Order: sequence, then C-alpha cells, then structure tokens
Amino acid sequence: MTGIATSEGRSRSAVGRGFPVWLGLAPFALVLAVLFAAPVLSLLRLGFGEGAFTLAQFQRLIDVPVYRSVLGTTFGIAGLVTGLSVLASYPLAYVMATVGPRTRNLLLILVLLPFWTSALVRTTAWIILLQSNGVVNQLLMAGGLTSSPIAFVYNLSGVLIGMTHVLMPFVVLPLYAAFRSLELSTVQAAEGLGAGPLTIFSRIILPLTAPGVVAGAMIVFMNAIGFYLTPALMGGPGQTMIAQMIATNINKELDWPFAAALASVLLVATVSLLALFQRRFGLDRLIEGGGGKAGEPFTVTSRGRSWGGWAAVAAAVLVAAFLIAPIVIVFPMSLGSSPFLSFPPDSYSLVWYENFFSTSKWMAALTRSLQIAALVVVISVGLGTLAALGVSRMRPRWRALVETLFILPMIVPVIILAVGLYYLLAPTGLVGSIWGVTLGHVVLATPYVFITVRAALKSFDGNLELAALGLGASWPTMFRRVMLPGIAPGIAAGAIFAFITSFDDVVIALFLTNIRSRTLPKLMYEGVAHEIDPTIIAASCLIILVTILVLGANLLVSKRT
Amino acid sequence: MKKLLIAAAVAALLAPVAASAKEMTFASWGGAYQEAIRKAWITPFSKESGIKVEEDTGPDTAKIKAMVDTKSVTWDVVTGGGGGLMRGVKLGLFEKITPDMVKTDHVLPGARNDYAIPSEIFSTLIGYSTKAFPTTGAQPKSFADFWDTAKFPGKRTLPDAPETVVEAALLADGVPMADVYKTLSTEAGLKRALDKIRALKPQVAVWWSSGAQPVQALGSGDVVMALGWNGRFQAGIDSKLPIAMAWDQQIPQVGFFMIPKGAPNKAEAVAFLNYMVKPENNARLSEYVAYGPVTEQAWASIDAGRAATLPSTPERLKNALFLDIEWWAENGAKVTEAYKTMLKE
Repeated sequence: MTGIATSEGRSRSAVGRGFPVWLGLAPFALVLAVLFAAPVLSLLRLGFGEGAFTLAQFQRLIDVPVYRSVLGTTFGIAGLVTGLSVLASYPLAYVMATVGPRTRNLLLILVLLPFWTSALVRTTAWIILLQSNGVVNQLLMAGGLTSSPIAFVYNLSGVLIGMTHVLMPFVVLPLYAAFRSLELSTVQAAEGLGAGPLTIFSRIILPLTAPGVVAGAMIVFMNAIGFYLTPALMGGPGQTMIAQMIATNINKELDWPFAAALASVLLVATVSLLALFQRRFGLDRLIEGGGGKAGEPFTVTSRGRSWGGWAAVAAAVLVAAFLIAPIVIVFPMSLGSSPFLSFPPDSYSLVWYENFFSTSKWMAALTRSLQIAALVVVISVGLGTLAALGVSRMRPRWRALVETLFILPMIVPVIILAVGLYYLLAPTGLVGSIWGVTLGHVVLATPYVFITVRAALKSFDGNLELAALGLGASWPTMFRRVMLPGIAPGIAAGAIFAFITSFDDVVIALFLTNIRSRTLPKLMYEGVAHEIDPTIIAASCLIILVTILVLGANLLVSKRT
Repeated sequence: MKKLLIAAAVAALLAPVAASAKEMTFASWGGAYQEAIRKAWITPFSKESGIKVEEDTGPDTAKIKAMVDTKSVTWDVVTGGGGGLMRGVKLGLFEKITPDMVKTDHVLPGARNDYAIPSEIFSTLIGYSTKAFPTTGAQPKSFADFWDTAKFPGKRTLPDAPETVVEAALLADGVPMADVYKTLSTEAGLKRALDKIRALKPQVAVWWSSGAQPVQALGSGDVVMALGWNGRFQAGIDSKLPIAMAWDQQIPQVGFFMIPKGAPNKAEAVAFLNYMVKPENNARLSEYVAYGPVTEQAWASIDAGRAATLPSTPERLKNALFLDIEWWAENGAKVTEAYKTMLKE
C-alpha cells in the first residue's frame, strides 16, 4: 500500500532475533489443543456414526431442503449485519477520534451499553419500541408520517436491528483505533492538494483504516453466524438460523450425531467462505496496508470540519440514537410495578431493585461474573497477544493456516464447545468451580484479542522496531518502550472484547457452573421458560449505572492529571 | 470436668453421624417455578423427613446426558417433560420408578410414566384479548374459532415449533380427539394439519419462541388471539392485562420429576417423590403457580376461586387432549422438519 515496511515484511531478518516464533504460538496452541480441539472433535466425530463410519447424517442434511435454506439464511443475515455494522461504525468512529475526551468517553459508553443488558432485556426493549403498537410506530403515526403501522419486528428488519445493535461495538473499537493512528499530516497534505471529503475518504481514510475494519468485520461475521436468541425473538419463521437448529438437536431432540453433522457443515462452509473471500478480495493484502506512524493523532484539520465531516457527525448522531434507544426504554421499564414488561409502566415502584439487593443470589452472581471476567481478561490478553506476535513473525506460507486455526473457537457453535468441555472437565472436578467456566471463556475470548492485536501489529510501523533494535535496545525493552505503546489500543480493544465475551455468555455457564458458581447471565436466563423476572431489568440498569459512574470517575481523574 | 469429657466424647461420636446426615440435590429451572416448588414441597418435606435438600438449576437434558455418560451425576431429582423426557428415557438417562417405589395409582391415567412421577399439569390453550372480544359480543371458545377469521377477525400468534399446533389444527378441522395422533401418524393426516396451519399463515403476526411473547403480543394489541400456556396467560391476567382464556378446549401437558441414572441419593429421591405426589401435598403447588394437580383427590384441598384458574379440573379435562409425549419422541424430528419447511415457504 505505502512504501513503509511493516513488521510483517521483516519476519526473518532483524526481528527474528529476540522473540522466537514458538514462544508466541505455543501457549495458545496448547490451550486450543487441550481445551478446544479435543473436546470439540470428540463431539463432531458423532456426525460420522457412533461406531461404524456412516454419512447418513449428512445425507439427511442434503435430502431435507430446509437445512440448506437455513444455512443460506444464516450466512445471508451474518453478511447483512456485518455490512450494516461497518456502515454504521464509520461515522461514529470518526467522531470518536475527532472529539474531546469527554464526548469520546460518552460515545464509548454508548457503544458498549448493549452488552451490559442481558439479551432478553435488550430484545424485549426493542420489541416494545418496534412492535406495531410500539413507541416508534405511535410516534410515526402521530407525526402523520405513516397511516398504518410499519412492521419493524418479527421479520428480517427486526433481526438486523437487534443484531447490529449488539455487534456494532466489534467494528467501532478497532476502527476507532485505526482512526487514532491515522496521521493528520496525510489528510492535510491531501486537502492542500485540493482533495474533497469524498476523495479523502476513499483514497486515504478507507485504505488506512482497512485493517481495523476487516478485523472488526470478521469478528462480527463469525459472531453473527452463532446467533439464535435474537433471531428467534425478533425475527419471523424466515429468519431461523443454524445455531438454533444445532442447539435444539443437542438439547431437545438429543440427536447429537445430527447436531454434530450440522455443526461440521457450518464449520466447513464458514472456513471455505473465508478462504474464498480472501482469494477473491485479497483480504490479506488489504490487511497488510496501514503502516501509519504512531504519531500525532487524527483530529479535525486546521480548517475545521468539511461538509463531509459534518455529514459524518449527523450520521453519528443517528447511530448514537439507535444505540441508546432501547436503553432509554429499559430504565422506566425497570421502575414498573407489574411483572409484565410494559412501556410506559402503569405505576412506578422500586420493587425490582429491592429484590436485587434483598436476595443474595443476585449480588453473588454479579460478583462471580466479574471475578470470572477479570480472570478471563488477564489470561486471554496474555495468550492472544503472544499468539499475535508469534503469527506476525511466522513465514507467510503457514500464516493463513495458523490464523484460521486460532479463530476457529469463534466459528464452532458454543453449545458444541460447552458439551465437549463438560465431558473433558467432569472427571477433573473443575465443573462447578469457577475455573471450569473460566477456562471455557478463555477459549472463546482469546481469538478476539488475537484478531485485534494482529490488526494493531499490522498497522504498527516495523521501522520503529528496527530502529530501536538497531540502536541497541534488547527485544523486551523495545517491546515495552516502542511496540507496546503502539499496539496498546488494539490490546485494549481485545481486553474489552474478552471481558464482554465472558460477561455475556450463557451457554458455557449453563453447562460448567452449578448454583454456587453460576454467573449473572445464567441467573438471568433461569426461569424464563416460566416467566421473565423484571429483576433482570433492574440488574441491567444497575450495571449500566455502575459502568457510567466508573467511566465518568475515570474521566474526572484523568482530567486532573 | 468429667461431664465435659463425656460431652466431648458424645460430640465426637455424633460428629460423623451429623456429617452423613441424609441429603439430596434437586434441580429445576430456577425463577418463580422453583420458588413455588420450594415453598410447596421442598421446605415442608425437609422439615418432615429431616432430609436436607440442596438446590441446583438448569437441568437441560443434554447436561443430564453428559452427567450420566461421565458418571458424575450430582442431581437426585430433576424436573422436565415433553418429548425430551421420552428421548432421555430411550437413551437410558433416568431410573425406572416402579409402583413399589412410588405409589401412583391415584394419579390421572394420562399422566403416568414408568420413568417419571408427574408433578403438575399445565396447558396449551387459546388466550384472547378482551378488548377485541368483550363479553358483550361473541368470544372464541374452540380451536375452530381460532381458525375462524371471519367471525373473529384480527392477527394471531402461534408457537414456532409444531408441538400442540398440529394437534390444534386437526381438532379445528373436525378430527375427533381420539383420532388426532392416529391421523397425524399418516402422511395425509400430517399434510392435512400443515395445510390447515398454512391457510392461517397470513393472519399470524408472531411465531413465538418464548412463552412470554404471546402475553406480550396480546397485551400490546399486536395480536387478538394466541395459542399459549395457561400459566403465562394467568400471569398477564394477574397483572391486569386485558386477557382471557378459552377453557372449552385445551391440550394439557404433564410436568414430571425424574431420577437421573446413577443419582447418589436414590433412597432420599424416592422419599421426596412419594411426598410430592401424595394428594394433599400435590395440591399445594397450585397455591403458588397456576398449574393443576395430577390427581383428582387433590381437589378436596384446593379452594374454588383458585380452581377456576387451573387447567386440570375434572370438568375441563373432559374436552382435553393430553400431549402424547411418546408420539413426539418418535415423530418429533420429522414433524419439526415439515413444520419449518411450511413456515419458510
């Protein structure tokens, strides 16, 4: 892309010394072999017969057209959600990179809010907003914009809204990091040479932010393939996704061989799709780009925002409104006195908050969740960063293969991993302790760290590393003083993703915890077959408030120093 | 001093006894349901028998299978039902419970099972909006009325899985109760049910996947009629939502308690099941949730006001078709495929 050498290109020369590839790859590879490959393969094997080899399960997949169509729907929805997430993330990430720290932190909170509310609360809030007698339709009709209600939910649009809302952060954060490492002088030079906003966007911003976007888009796509609660609640029968069928066959039909066949097909299809995409669009070359110096952060140019910039700000405001809309609904809902969720509530009370604090199980589960998530962040940031360093120093020939292996935990349906891990860990006695579920989450979370740090390393200027080493710095010193500050935004994004992956997980927790080690999402999920306990809404609101307070306090402290 | 020594010796003798005091673990779905079970059965049972009952949550059949396979069963009694129960039975996940272990001859014949003890009865039936169909006019009564969009105009909601829907469709189409599963077992019969549902598709606004959705949709006015669970509708009614239930025709289902194979405290589990299924004890759950008892003898201890909200009164069971869980274990996969195909058309 540019003439600057990235650290990638020098894998075998100067940087080869000091940091051996195996040291980076081995820890995560070991974890994957023991805690991922072994348990998952032992389950997937069932798809080929429980004894004699047979392809009968796959024959059924081919014979019954509904499975093909569901597979198609799954990829279709995942693709659309990825596109929408990228589209919505650009204006927001641009604004985040060009405003003061106060507004930026506010936007950051907005982006992460969807994760602090349980999936059940989130989807219920959206349905209350979007149903035909919902808030949005009432506003539209009162404003005379439409005469009959628009069907926003129980169809494709409902699924896209619900999924984009929660998956967008995965693009926004890497993209924001990419914007921050853009050089102001490049943009200024282009402006000086008479480039308009559109040219600047397509010729400079787009190519230079590509690594961040591709990393984020990949995470969204993989994640979207595994969704099923949101499509089941906000979609119609046309939006059934494959993960739902896998879960039903595991849990309800107890047809594990067929679930294994479905999961294998999903796995193969996803990996081939990635390979095809890579060949067709040169994913790797796209990612290779970047190479921006970690210098002056990107801000508004001296001449202020162009019309393009202002258009982006307007778009960002809309995106922010989209992100916050269901959260705004959740607060009054949490104050309703009826266990039936409604908006606006008929009468107000604090009964669900009292319930949260008076019943020890809620506090216990919240503490447990935070404990587990903290452990997961520490372990997976270590593993993922090492793995990313190792891969960036590998010979290019094997790199794509290792990279694919390292992100496989994102593609395999979580329930397959959860069941497999139960079989592996039950004899060790780790099931039911916080370590069983922590190990499961580490497997899930490390690929996120790996991807974001990989993207950061790709944008990192390899010449800085060479210069430091050339001036006599040891590798560890160079890493601490030069490379670490450069890739810090990527590590931070990975850490946040690892945290929310752990904090949001239900499936692993269902299998690997008991009543003493259960996490908050598991507790929230309990009882939903019989009722929704509005305490989960109060819990979500409390978490949101605490998040805002912590980030707000952080802002105050950082302003003083 | 001597006294103290004796006391110490006694304490030392007693300690191992206390440590091995009888206990068992019960696992269910948490939330209000498990709380009702705790109040109605667990707490009084513990008091009466001296058996300490630990509780756990999340007895997914898949997890029970994993426990049984790895010989790490920690649960003594779990709750469940439906086709999943029978598929579990086929895989050998549950202990057989013989009549000399737990006496069940007083239980409704439709609720008996060799591997499970019935705990309560809930029902799938029509819930409708009393705003759309107030008492001043005609109100839906039967599954035929659910399909009658001329007489009862407005959107509907149906489950996104076929259990209870195909049965309701055939009943609405005039198939007698006794012939429903016989008819469904034939290709033509299944097609007849699916065609009936297909015809209603344009009027179905929501295909629900969680039991809260039909109540939500009725409450907001997005639909006027729903096929859903009586307990959920009742919760909506209790929260003053404009909902009523049509009790004239229903598809009841039985909730069961099972003992996973290899449960560590089987004797205690059997004692608990015996306690739970006794008529006067079985009646108690209805005080806390709108589920009916599994034995006619229980009605003596339930007051009339509460009985009006419960699905298993002798009167209401006359026109009820019990969900055939063996049939579903046998045919569930095939029917689900056909149902999903019809929905995706």
